[in-house]
Amino acid sequence: MPDSPPRPTDAELELLTVLWSRGPSTVREVHETIARRRPTQYTTVLKQMQIMAAKGLVSRDEKQRAHVYAAAHPREWTERYLAGDFLRRAFNGSASRLMVGALSARKTSKQELAELRRLLDEYERGTP
Amino acid sequence: MTLIQTWVQTPLAQAIGWTLVHSLWEGALVALVLAAALWAFRSSRARYAAACLAMLAMLAGFGFTFTREMPRQRGHVAIIANAGIAWLPAGFEAPKGVVGHRAADSLPWLAPFWMVGVAIFHLRSLASWMSARHLRRTGVCLAPDHWRERLERLGARVRLSRPVTLLESCLAEVPVVIGYLRPAILMPVGLLAGLPAGQVEAILLHELAHIRRYDYLVNLLQSAVEGFLFYHPAVWWISGLIRAERENCCDDLVVATHGDAHEYAAALATLEQNRWSAREAAPAATGGNLMQRIRRLLNRPEAPRRALTPIFSAGILAITAAVVLMAWPSKAGAKAPAPAAPAGPAAQAERVQQMRVQLATPYTKWLTEDVAYIITDRERAAFKSLTTDEERELFIEQFWLQRDPTPGTVENEFKEEHYRRIAYANEHYASSVPGWKTDRGRIYIIYGPADEIESQPHSDASTYRSEQWRYRFIEGVGTNVVIEFVDSTGSGEYRMTRDVPGQSGGHVFSSTEPGARVTVEITSDRRMLIGIPIDFEARQYEIYGTTRRSDTGATVSVFSEMRSLCKDAPGTTGCLPQPVFQPFPVVTLGPGPYIFRAAVKDSAGTAQKTYTVNFTVD
Repeated sequence: MPDSPPRPTDAELELLTVLWSRGPSTVREVHETIARRRPTQYTTVLKQMQIMAAKGLVSRDEKQRAHVYAAAHPREWTERYLAGDFLRRAFNGSASRLMVGALSARKTSKQELAELRRLLDEYERGTP
Repeated sequence: MTLIQTWVQTPLAQAIGWTLVHSLWEGALVALVLAAALWAFRSSRARYAAACLAMLAMLAGFGFTFTREMPRQRGHVAIIANAGIAWLPAGFEAPKGVVGHRAADSLPWLAPFWMVGVAIFHLRSLASWMSARHLRRTGVCLAPDHWRERLERLGARVRLSRPVTLLESCLAEVPVVIGYLRPAILMPVGLLAGLPAGQVEAILLHELAHIRRYDYLVNLLQSAVEGFLFYHPAVWWISGLIRAERENCCDDLVVATHGDAHEYAAALATLEQNRWSAREAAPAATGGNLMQRIRRLLNRPEAPRRALTPIFSAGILAITAAVVLMAWPSKAGAKAPAPAAPAGPAAQAERVQQMRVQLATPYTKWLTEDVAYIITDRERAAFKSLTTDEERELFIEQFWLQRDPTPGTVENEFKEEHYRRIAYANEHYASSVPGWKTDRGRIYIIYGPADEIESQPHSDASTYRSEQWRYRFIEGVGTNVVIEFVDSTGSGEYRMTRDVPGQSGGHVFSSTEPGARVTVEITSDRRMLIGIPIDFEARQYEIYGTTRRSDTGATVSVFSEMRSLCKDAPGTTGCLPQPVFQPFPVVTLGPGPYIFRAAVKDSAGTAQKTYTVNFTVD
């Protein structure tokens, strides 16, 4: 059932993030990336990847000797999956109050976004 | 009586209530000053600093007001708390027409609501903090090496010495900074590879600027202040301002370091757009300040700022000032009895004359109101004989100085307590008569709060509302003094039914025997107040007294009591704190000649003293 895979666990979410960041990768490459942040066993990662492949969270390319794994869905998929999880969404939403970043917690409206684009284009044309 | 009703009567609740009201106008004032400062400052750093200072000032104002209110309220509430009737029955309600009393009474009820609010806002902050931590740990991986190296170089360019972790996150919607001791930048996964390198650098610079400025920590503290002052619109306005100016400061730093404002602005716009495509069903929310920021980056004229809040602040200021003035007139009035000598050019003789009258008034008021109950006859006579205002000022100063329990210090506790009592009496006992003039007010001002108050509400048509005040000890009067007040007219003015010796201004008669003297005072309404001195040593005294009419020989009243001095038998109920015995209850006499005989006897030995007082009642 690739359209409605089960929710990934936190550990699976981490592996997916690595795949989204690096693109299709071998288990060894994924393990290297994770091991730089926290100690982990190669076999653990391998086992997890196999389980995720069975769940339909990742796809496996078996053409080469070392199997190459890729995320089965684009990154935006988490958004939709989180949108269904009200608690989790509220949880993440409340975090935005405390974090600082380039953009404010509140979104700009679509009209304003179009206006922004126009402003930027105008600027580009105006400057040599 | 519920727990909360009891709690509301505590000094803490009263102090919080007053602090909240005062903080309304304080905050409004701060907002107005800030608005003026913002009008003068153009640079984002100055505006940011001003807004942060304003927020600190609001918090400091709150704390300062609270520390001032707390001791005041402690004195205030003691009377009711001691009396064990924390929530007084309807009969004790303020007489109508005294708005201030009612407003002041309901103030402490703000305290529980405020505390619930504070708890909610802080719980929310705690949840936010926990979820931010969660976000940093879940669904993240380290960014590719070359990006982390670049970040290090960028950090060096903005002179940031702390190590910063660069993470990619599948849960973060936009780039964010989390943590202040070991800060991490979270980039939405895919963004590093998806945007032009120049734009990514600009965004990373922005995040580094946040880290260098400790914005995450400041934001945490800011949320804490919001939690305490959540009821004040000004705090939200200031907070929003800090957030906006914080971004502007970081933008400035990016442009100064990176150089290309346009590329940076384009990066911000792209980021915002990415956020939109990620979720189709998102509501069309407005209110982000990105538009203003990009206009600012591109040096475009800014849309006019909304200046509603300062106007709003002025409104709050006016309203709270009115409320405070209404709730506070009696206190303020009593606290500032100092005669303010009005100075000014007196053009017309008539006006000069008027001013003379006004100048005389404060001193008259001082004598007949402020200290009417505590000034001695001799002092009163001396004060009346004074001719110049300088002399009167000096006299008043000396008057208080003589009564100061701690003459070395600036504070005169006696004077402060005295004016507090007047204020309390005015606030609580006023009816058609000012509070200080009522019987309850007079007793309160002279003797302070009673140790116990029993009040009987109006139960049926035949009974009146009444209060019994019990003092364990009154210096110069005795122990277990009970004073009863009855609202016999139903007007809210309680009249004292028993008099306290020496305070009625009646005729005083003394015994004729040599040595210590028994005094009999006949009040204006013919009540007989007796004071019997005890002037020899004994463990226990038997005290007798009889009052007879000297014309008919009829016995009017008799008493016999057995008492010890408190210093010899501490802790005994009914002991005498002073070597003076004053019998209660007090009898009322008809007109005529009387003879009072009293005897004090050592109940174990033979020592004995007898006294005779002849007196007439008009």
